[in-house]
Amino acid sequence: MGKWLRRLAYLLRKSRHDRELREEIEAHRSLRAAHLEREGLTPQEANHASRRAIGNVLLAREDVREIWVGSWPTFWQDVRYGLRTLRKHTLFTVVAVVTLALGIGINTGIFTVLNGVLFRDLPAPGAHELVSISQTVDGGPPIAMSGFDTFTISEYYIYRDRAQTLSGVLVHSDPRETTLGGDVPQEVFGAIVSCNYFTVLQKPPVFGRALIEQDCEPGAPPVVVLGHGVWTTTFASDATILGRSIELDRHQFTVVGVAAEGTYGGSPMRTAYFAPLSTEPLLWPGESRFRDARTRWLNMIGRRNDEAGLEEVRAELGVIATQIDREQSPRKTRLTIERARPMTVPAAVRGPATGAAAVVMAAFGLVLLIACANVANLLLARGTARSQEIGIRFALGASRARVVRQLLTESLLISIAGGLLGTVLALWSFQTLVALALPAALPPEIPAFTWDLDFSPDVRVLSFALMLTMGTSLLFGLLPALHVSKPDLNGVIKQEAAGSGGSRRGGRLRGTLVGVQVALSMVLMISTGLLLRGLYATYTIDPGFAYRDVAFLSFGTDFGPETVVNQRLMDQVAALPGVEAVAFAAQTPLGESMMGGAIRLPGESKPQARFAEFDQVTPGYFRLLDIAILRGRNFTDAESANARRESSTHPVIVSETAARSFWGDGDAVGRTLLRDDMTGGDIALEVVGVAADAQLTSLGTIVPYIYQPGSPGGVLLVKSRADFAATASGIRSLVRASDPSVAFRVLPLEGNVAWWRGVSSMVTTLGAGLGVLALVLASVGIYGVVSFAVSRRFREIAIRMALGATARDALRTILGQALRPVVIGAVIGIAAASAVSRVLSSVLFGVSPADPIGLGGAALLVFAVALAAGVMAARPVTGADPTATLRYE
Amino acid sequence: MGLTNTPSDLLPGTLELLILKSLGSGPKHGYAIVEHLRVASKDMLHIGESALYPALQRLLLNGWAKAEWGVSEANRRARYYRLTPAGRKQLAGEREEFERMVQAIQYVLEAT
Repeated sequence: MGKWLRRLAYLLRKSRHDRELREEIEAHRSLRAAHLEREGLTPQEANHASRRAIGNVLLAREDVREIWVGSWPTFWQDVRYGLRTLRKHTLFTVVAVVTLALGIGINTGIFTVLNGVLFRDLPAPGAHELVSISQTVDGGPPIAMSGFDTFTISEYYIYRDRAQTLSGVLVHSDPRETTLGGDVPQEVFGAIVSCNYFTVLQKPPVFGRALIEQDCEPGAPPVVVLGHGVWTTTFASDATILGRSIELDRHQFTVVGVAAEGTYGGSPMRTAYFAPLSTEPLLWPGESRFRDARTRWLNMIGRRNDEAGLEEVRAELGVIATQIDREQSPRKTRLTIERARPMTVPAAVRGPATGAAAVVMAAFGLVLLIACANVANLLLARGTARSQEIGIRFALGASRARVVRQLLTESLLISIAGGLLGTVLALWSFQTLVALALPAALPPEIPAFTWDLDFSPDVRVLSFALMLTMGTSLLFGLLPALHVSKPDLNGVIKQEAAGSGGSRRGGRLRGTLVGVQVALSMVLMISTGLLLRGLYATYTIDPGFAYRDVAFLSFGTDFGPETVVNQRLMDQVAALPGVEAVAFAAQTPLGESMMGGAIRLPGESKPQARFAEFDQVTPGYFRLLDIAILRGRNFTDAESANARRESSTHPVIVSETAARSFWGDGDAVGRTLLRDDMTGGDIALEVVGVAADAQLTSLGTIVPYIYQPGSPGGVLLVKSRADFAATASGIRSLVRASDPSVAFRVLPLEGNVAWWRGVSSMVTTLGAGLGVLALVLASVGIYGVVSFAVSRRFREIAIRMALGATARDALRTILGQALRPVVIGAVIGIAAASAVSRVLSSVLFGVSPADPIGLGGAALLVFAVALAAGVMAARPVTGADPTATLRYE
Repeated sequence: MGLTNTPSDLLPGTLELLILKSLGSGPKHGYAIVEHLRVASKDMLHIGESALYPALQRLLLNGWAKAEWGVSEANRRARYYRLTPAGRKQLAGEREEFERMVQAIQYVLEAT
């Protein structure tokens, strides 16, 4: 305690303390001089001798200061000195800061997005207490699965009633697409929730009431709490909405409240309504999950008690799970309990999702690494130039640690400037970018909805940026600082005086850095090359079906053929002016969904089954999309009409790829395939025809495809000579006339193709942007280092030329050495890139992993830059009079 | 930090102990301490100022000594260091510690 007071007193009277110390040491010296005089020295000799004996006074004073205040003041001194040095070398500083700003900015930006999606807490008071509970179950009674990790309603009741560590447990369904009735019916997403939803979230509605337990009793009158967003838009913030009735999927619901703004609705999408569990039979007709305990469809969130930690909750719920397992032997439950986040990634897909995120982060990380290598190289080059200054510091008695600290302070200043600039840029630009990019990244078929994600910076983002800043300063600063500060006094001073090529060690370190940089940028650039070629492929690829002049009509909620989606509509649309063909299909070509199934040959066991995609189409489908029936026949009208009825035969048309995968070159027509039905039995499919391949579910991939006959339902495809607007308005008035209560969309099929191209062009643009950035950074770095290496050898070049070597010879020798690390780096880079490109080629289409144009192009580019740098740097010497150069040295 | 003129054969902290000891017989200024150590060590210890003054400052910081300006024998201004009660306690403790250390080293060296 007293120590700190004395420290404080020292700080307050620092200058007086310094003066006293100086006086004291001077007094000490004069006492010694007097002593020496008494021993018989002349006053002058005594004076000299006493000065020699006193030692390094400067250092003693420095030490004293450190004793009193630690190293803080010297830190500030370093900062001031560093700022001065950086200001003096403006160009170096600007290049370094901008380089780092790009690297740090781009990483902070991407982290902001990840943070908003994956790491933020739920938008609710006391969000740290909320835990998401999910399960994976093996064995037990048969259960119809609905989503990942979900619970049945009776499982929910068990956890809700038994859990003591949780003050409340809520459940919500996955977002449910619903038709909201009105003058113009629209599609919205809503959630079916337990009636304690708002209580557990602690987010009471802004007005009206929350759901109460009576609302969840079977047969309770249907009520709903509106989402804030839909209330302000569709209902124009109407304050009289309470007690009024709205139509959801053609059922009347009484509005009892309006949720607070930003109330979590079970997904990152904005939720239009919160309906009680009891209304599930209305919104999900056909199967009652509400009464039926055999469907898992509920996501569970609990709120911890004040006293209960996450571990206690895990332990207690684990016990409950074991009790359930015992009651339903041989069931085996594994619970996952984590802090709740807006976007829960199901455990089953967490691996692949994390992998994808890691690849993206790695690409951005590479850019930062290249930026660091760049600045390290700049520092190293400058450090060599500064070796005289550093030599003097050593001569004055500075320790190595002291010099390293000074150099690191400068690095820190650079990275702080870069970090600030980069973070500001990132926070400012990425929010806008994300707001623009997210809606564009959704297929046109998905109804317009808003994401409810918060991408504003928080403590986590800022600490990430800070960490990056500190980390990078060490990454690029430490190596050069350690290298430059090798206390090799004589060497440094001698070599500088001689102006020779710098130490051999320095050359090797610089070479390594160049090599690393070249390797890293090769990886990025080769990836970019592949991405660009992928982009080219996307724009030129033929999806295998005729998508021009085709419109499609799709419905929000399929209310069944008795209303609108029927043969009559098909006939009416076919009669519109200009319409050439109409057909129904279950799947929109290149649309939002697909239907997959396991298929095998008779005689094969179930594990041998192969994956195929399915569609149900009316006979006009193939001609409309210009997909040729290569062998066999098309479906008949009778087969189409029978599609919804139970029938003993199941005719199918298989794609060429499917036929080849099962029968090779043999004829497929007349053969049989087996498909699992949902109950564990088999359905025998009889092949009646083989159709040409078409890329119907994802552009660029051809999968085995199996068509079944379909009756009217799903999507209506319309091919018309008339322009799209006219056809669309004709279709719209037909649909409205036959049923004004359905929500529907009429869109051009070309839009789906364009969307697919758009997604890969977005990925590609991003990738290409990174690649170009890497190339610019690497070029600056390679140029700087090669030209530095060459300029250090001016003298040698001059001597060679004075001795009769031609400028060409001299240049060749110098460049040969300067380019060696470039070559080594390029080779390593190509090897690494081929691993990366194997991953990429699985994502992109039309690109093979060993793409010679992509690989060769990138390598050539790097060489060209390095060569240009060397030649440009060497030109002043090789062009000049050698004697002039020598004289200068 | 930095190079100091502390004789490298002194154990760390020993210089402080020696200074405390030399102040035990009464207040002294810096030069007097150096001389005292030189004479008392039979001319074996020559302490440089760049080691002495940091060590003295450490004593001040820890509250083991107090410094005040006075006039030296030769009628010059000099700064005298005086042991505080805490310093006396420290001296006793350090001394005991040091003797145990020396004893321990002795044991090791004499062990066969």
